Amino acid sequence: MLVALIALVGLFVATYLTLFKLGVIGQLVCAVGSCETVQLSRWATFLGVPVAAWGIGYYVVVLALSVAGTMERWEASPSLAVGMVLLTAWGALFSLWLTALELFVIHAICQWCVISALLSVSLFVVALLDWRDGRSYTADPANAAG
Amino acid sequence: MVSEQRRSNRPFVIALGVIAIVGVLALAWSATRTKHGVTDVDLKADPTQARGYLLGDSTAPVQILEFADFECPACAQFATLTEPDVRKTLVTTGKASYRYFDFPLPMHKNTWAASNAAACADEQGKFWEMHDMLFTNQDRWNGAATSSPKGALKGYAQSLGLDVPKWEKCYDEERYRPRIASNRAEAERRHVESTPTFVIGGKMIASAITFDQFMKYVDDAEKALATKPAEPTSAGTPIVLPPNGTAPASPKRP
Repeated sequence: MLVALIALVGLFVATYLTLFKLGVIGQLVCAVGSCETVQLSRWATFLGVPVAAWGIGYYVVVLALSVAGTMERWEASPSLAVGMVLLTAWGALFSLWLTALELFVIHAICQWCVISALLSVSLFVVALLDWRDGRSYTADPANAAG
Repeated sequence: MVSEQRRSNRPFVIALGVIAIVGVLALAWSATRTKHGVTDVDLKADPTQARGYLLGDSTAPVQILEFADFECPACAQFATLTEPDVRKTLVTTGKASYRYFDFPLPMHKNTWAASNAAACADEQGKFWEMHDMLFTNQDRWNGAATSSPKGALKGYAQSLGLDVPKWEKCYDEERYRPRIASNRAEAERRHVESTPTFVIGGKMIASAITFDQFMKYVDDAEKALATKPAEPTSAGTPIVLPPNGTAPASPKRP
C-alpha cells in the first residue's frame, strides 16, 4: 500500500517535470539548485523521449502493480512481490545514475529530480521489505505485499 | 471477509485520493500560473524610462522586444540557436529592430552581476558582444558554477577588447543598476512572468520560439501595420526610444 502512495507522489512529480519540458509550465518552482539547467540539458532526454515522461510510465506501472497487490487475488502472490522488487531496483538504479549525471556531468542539481530519486529508492526499500514480509508470513494475507 | 478487507483498505484509498486531489490541484495551479500563451499587449501604455538595449534601426517597421535573464537556460538556448538567424534575416535587413530588456529573476544568483557586466560593456559600445559572450558561456559563470562570477565576467571584458579598468570601475560601482532595475520594472509593468518573453508588434509571446514562429509574428505585425498605417495604437506601432539617450522619446509614427 505504501508503494502505491509513494508511486502516486512520484507520478505527480514526473508529470510536473514533463509538463515543463512540453512547455505547458513556463517556470519550475525550484528553491534549491538549478532545475532549468538540468531539464534543458541533453541528459533530460532518453531515447528521444523526455526522461520525466519515462518517469511517468515507470510510476504508472509501479502504481498499477501495487494497487493490484492490494486485491485479494494478488495480495499473496510471491511473483508480484518479486516483480516489484526487480522493477523498483531498476528504477532506483536509473534514478541514481541520473543523480550522478547531475552531480558530475551537468554540475547542477534539480530538486524535483532529487525528490524523484529519493522516491525511487524508497519504493525499492519498501518493495524489498514487503517481499521479505511476504516470505515470512505467506500464510497471513494481511502481511502480504502492498 | 470481503467487508473486513474493504474496511482495512479504506485508509489506503482515502490517502490515495487525498494525494491524487492535492497533486492534480498543484499541477493545475502550476500550469495556469505561468502559461505559455499569447496575449494582447496594451499598446496605449506610455513608454517608460526603460529603454533596453537596441540592435538595428529604431525606426524599423516592426519592433521586437525581448525580456530575458542572462542566467536563464532557455534564454541562452534561444540566444545561441535562434537569435543569430533573427538578427541576420530580420534585424540587419531593416525589417525589424530588436531590443533586449533585463529581467533578472530572483532565483538566479549571478544574473544581476551579468546584467551589470553587460551594461558596463554597453558604455563602451559592446553590449551585444557581451550579451553573446554571457549566453554562450552561461554554465561557466552562473550560480551553479560559481558564487563569485566577477573573475569570469572580467575575462570576457578583456577578450572583447574593452577598456578593462574602466569596465571594472563601472562594474564595481554598479553604475547602471537603476537602468537594469527600470528594464525589470518595464517587464513587470507588462506582466512578464517568465523568460524569455517576446513582444513582437502587438503580441506578447511568453516562451522561446522557433525562427519560423518568429518570422510569422513579424509578418503578422507587418500586415497589421499595413492595414492601419496611421493609427498610433495599432498592433505594430513601434515605441520609439532613443538608442543611447537618457530620456524617452514621444511615440513616433512609422
